Amino acid sequence: MKAIVITESEAAARELCGGARSLVDEVVYLTFCESVAGIADKCVRVSVPEGIAKEAAVDTMWEVVKAEDPQIVLFEPTRRLKIVVGRMAARDGASVITDVMAFCDGSTQSMYFGGVGLRTCKSLTAISFCSVSAGAFGEVSPSGTDVVEEAAFAAPAQTVELVSREKLPPADVDLTAAKRIVAAGRGFGKEEDLSLAREFCKAVGGELGCTRPLTESETWFPREAYIGVSGLMLTPDMYVGIGISGQMQHMVGVDRARVSFAINKDEHAPIFQKVDYGLVGDIVDVMPKINAKLA
Amino acid sequence: MDFKLTDEQELMLENLREFCDRWVDEERIQKWYDERRVDPETCKAYLEAGFGYMFIPEEYGGIPSDAQTLALVVEELMRCTGATMPFMSYGLAMYDLATFGTPEQVEKGMKSYQETGQQCFSLALSEPGAGSDNRSMTATIHWDDENGTAVLNGTKTMVSHAETAPYIMFIGKDEDPSHDNKSMSMLLVEKDTPGITMAPLHKIGQTSTNFDEVYFDNVVVPQSTLLGEKGKGFLQLMENFEIERIMLSAHSLGLAQAALEEATRYAAQRETFGKKLYQHQLIAEKLTDMEIKCQNMRNMLYKTAWEFDNGIPVRLDSALCKRYLSTTATEVASEAMQIFGGIGYTTESKIGRIWIDARGDSFAGGTEEIMVHIAGRQIVKKYASDLL
Amino acid sequence: MKIAVMVKVLPDDQDIVATDDGQLDFSRAKNTISTYDLNAIEAAAQLAEAEGAELVAVVAGPKRVDDSKTRKNILSRGVDSLCILADDSLDLADSRQTGRMLAKIVEKVGDVDLVVCGDGSADLYAQQVDVQLAEALGWVNTNAVVSLKADGAAVSVERVLEDEKEVVKMPLPAVVAVSPDIALPRIAGMKDILAAGKKPVVTYSLEDAGGLEDATVETLEIKAPQPTARKKMLFDGSSDEGIDEFVKALKEAM
Repeated sequence: MKAIVITESEAAARELCGGARSLVDEVVYLTFCESVAGIADKCVRVSVPEGIAKEAAVDTMWEVVKAEDPQIVLFEPTRRLKIVVGRMAARDGASVITDVMAFCDGSTQSMYFGGVGLRTCKSLTAISFCSVSAGAFGEVSPSGTDVVEEAAFAAPAQTVELVSREKLPPADVDLTAAKRIVAAGRGFGKEEDLSLAREFCKAVGGELGCTRPLTESETWFPREAYIGVSGLMLTPDMYVGIGISGQMQHMVGVDRARVSFAINKDEHAPIFQKVDYGLVGDIVDVMPKINAKLA
Repeated sequence: MDFKLTDEQELMLENLREFCDRWVDEERIQKWYDERRVDPETCKAYLEAGFGYMFIPEEYGGIPSDAQTLALVVEELMRCTGATMPFMSYGLAMYDLATFGTPEQVEKGMKSYQETGQQCFSLALSEPGAGSDNRSMTATIHWDDENGTAVLNGTKTMVSHAETAPYIMFIGKDEDPSHDNKSMSMLLVEKDTPGITMAPLHKIGQTSTNFDEVYFDNVVVPQSTLLGEKGKGFLQLMENFEIERIMLSAHSLGLAQAALEEATRYAAQRETFGKKLYQHQLIAEKLTDMEIKCQNMRNMLYKTAWEFDNGIPVRLDSALCKRYLSTTATEVASEAMQIFGGIGYTTESKIGRIWIDARGDSFAGGTEEIMVHIAGRQIVKKYASDLL
Repeated sequence: MKIAVMVKVLPDDQDIVATDDGQLDFSRAKNTISTYDLNAIEAAAQLAEAEGAELVAVVAGPKRVDDSKTRKNILSRGVDSLCILADDSLDLADSRQTGRMLAKIVEKVGDVDLVVCGDGSADLYAQQVDVQLAEALGWVNTNAVVSLKADGAAVSVERVLEDEKEVVKMPLPAVVAVSPDIALPRIAGMKDILAAGKKPVVTYSLEDAGGLEDATVETLEIKAPQPTARKKMLFDGSSDEGIDEFVKALKEAM
C-alpha cells in the first residue's frame, strides 16, 4: 500500500506523514512549498513560477500522483490544497472526503452539520482522497529519507494571474499547539474587557481563542483564533470558555479537551452542560477576583 | 377559516428575527430604556430592512400590508426582545399623516422618517384636565386670518416621542376653550417653533420612548400647517384609533408570549424539592392558564385584524381586543414573575421589565375603562339597536 | 454579464434532534438556506447590482428542497431568477455528483460568466463542490474570496488564505467560492419578499441534466456523536466560596 501526502505547512507534513505510515507501508510526500526532510520514503517537490497562483501546480502534481499510483492521498485541509487535490479527484472520477477526524477499517469519520452528527463514509474509487484534520492521528512521529526529487513544472492550459501576494501578519496565536486554551465569546461586551481574559490566560499559561462572532461581526481577533466547526478543532489538556453560551458549532472544536471550564452569567447557558466546572457570574465581576487569586 | 401563515408572512418573521439577532440585545435594551430612546442606527436599520414602511401607502414610498401582517410583526418584535420596541408607532404615525396630510405635509414627514428612521411627529392630544374626555380640552388655536397664522396656547401632557420627533401634531379647540365648543383642529408644527417648551415625564415602564409635558405659549405658525379639515380634528383622528388599538394589542400579546416562554424555560430547568418546577402541579396549572390566555389573546387579535382588513367595522372588536389583551397580558406577565419567584422581582431577569411594560398598555391608546365606555354602547347597538 | 450562484437547501440544524438510540431525527427541521450560501448570494447580488448583471440562483437536491417558501426566500435576496433540480437521488450525493449536476444546469442556463459558491455547506462543509463544478465546466476557479470586482473580461478577487493574502485576476468564465466575510446577508424586507413570488422559477428533471453520475463516496452511517462525559459542577460567582472552589479546580487542572 502506498500513500501520497500533500501539505503546505511543516507541522501538517510531519503529522500526516507519520499518520500515513500507520496506514500504509510506503509514504511519498508531495509539496509545492519548502520540503521537510526525513519524514517520508521520498519527497517530490514542485516549484510554481512567480506570477501565477500556486494552484497551477495541479497538473504537475497530478502527473506525479498518477505515476506513483497510490491507494490513498492524504492532504492538509488548506484552501489551496482543497483546490489542487479537489481537481485531482475530479480528474480521477473521484470525490475528496474532507476533514477526516479518524480512520478506521478503511472508512473515515468526519463531522456532519458541524458536529450535530458524525458521518462515516468510504471511498468507492481506486484512490481515496482525504483531507485530514489536525489531531486525527494522535501522537505520531514520521520517519523517512532525505531523498528529494524535483518534478518539472508543467503549466496548465489556464492559469490564474497573481497580482499581489503578502504574508498576513504572523499570528500571535497558535492554538493548535497550545495545551491550555481559553476562549472568549459574545459575553465580552466591550473590547477592553478582553484584557480580563488576557490576564487570565497569562495566569493559567494558555492561549486565547474565540467564538465565531468575535472574528466576524467584531474584528477583535484574527481568524486563526476562531475555534469551531469551520475553524479549529483542538485537543487541549484544559479548556476554559468565558462568556460563551455553548453553541454546538463552537463546542465541537473543544469537545476533546481533557478538563473543561466555563464562566457565564446565565446559569442556564448550555455550556454548563458540556464542561466539568462552571462558574455563574458576570465576567466583569468575577474575572478580576479569579485573576487575583491565580496571580 | 385559515390560521396558516403565508410564505411571505413566515419569511418576514424570519427576517425580523434576524434583525433582532443583529441589532437587539439585553445590553442595548437597557441602554435604550435608560436613555429614553432607541439609538438612531437601530431605528434606521429597522426602516431600511423594510419593516418600517409597512402600512404606509405605496404612493408615499410605503409597502402595502394588511393589519394582520403588521400585527404579526409587532407581536414578534416584542416576543423576540421581551421589551417595548416602539417602531410600530413610527410607521403608524406616517399612516396617520398619510390619512390627513396634504401631499406636501406627507412628503415632509416621510423625508424626516427616511432620514432618521424615527417617528416624525409626536401627538399632543391629552391635557392635564382632558384625556379620553377630549371635550374638556382647553388648548386653543386662534386663527389670525389677517396674518395667515394660527396661534397655539395650552399644555399637553403624556406626549410620546416629544423629545425625538421633529414635528408635533397639535390638537386644540378653535378659538374658544369652553366645554361646549366641539370645533377642534389639528396642525403639524415644528418642534423648534418659538413658544414650545417641554419637560420630561418619567414613566415606570416602556421607557424606550420618551414622554413629556409640552407647553404651547403663543406659538405662531402658518395656517398651512393645518392637517385635514378645520374644525374636525378629533373626529378624523378617531378613525385611526382602531388600528392603533389593534397594534397596541399586538404589543401586549408579544410581551405576554415572551413572559410565557421565559417562565416555561425557567420552570423546565429549575428544581425545587427534588422536582423540576413544572412538575409541581401549581406551576403546571399556571403555565396552562398562561398558555390558554396567550392563545385566546392571539385568536382575538388575529380575528379583529382580519375584520379590519376585510372592511368589517371594528369599533367594538378593537375596543374589546384592546381591553382584553392589555389586562390579560399583565396577568400572564405577573404569573410568569411568580414562577420565577424572588429572582423575578429583581433586575436580573427580564420578567420585571415585561410585567411593567405590559401594565402600561392598560393606559396607552385609551384606558381599559374607556374601552368599556366604547364597547358598552356598541354592544347595545349590536343586540338592541331598536331600543336605543 | 450573467452570474449564477449555487445554493444548497438543508434542514435547519437548530431543529435536528439526536434520538436516544443515537440517530438524528430531521423530521422537525424545516428547510433553510445553508448558512454560508447566504453570504454567497449577497456577494453575488452586490456584484450583479454594481455591474447591472443578471443573477440566477441554482438549487439541486432531494425533492424536499423545492417548496414555495424556500423559492421565495432565495428570490427575496437580490436574485433575478431561480433554477431548481429536485430529485431524491440527490440525497447524500457526493461532491462529484453534485458538482457535475450543477455544471449541467449552469450550461443549460447558458452564457454564465461567473459562478459563485459559498464557503462550504452547513452539513458536509467539504468545500469541494466549487472545485468539481469548475473542473466539469473546464473553468478556472479560486476560493477563500473576500472581495470580488469585475474587471473587463476578468474578475479581480482578493483571497485570504491561512497565512497569506492574495489578489488574483481570473479570466472569465470562472468559479469562485467566497468566504463568509465577503458580505453580510441582507435582511429581506416585505417589498423584496412580495416581489420574490413574481420572479421566474425554472425546474429541471434529472433527465434534463443527463442523469446522475455514479457515486464515488458511500455514506455508511450518520449518527449523533457521543459527547465526552463531563462533571458539570456549577459554582456561584456571587460568593467568595464559589470563586474559591472554581479557582481550586482550575489550579488542579493546571
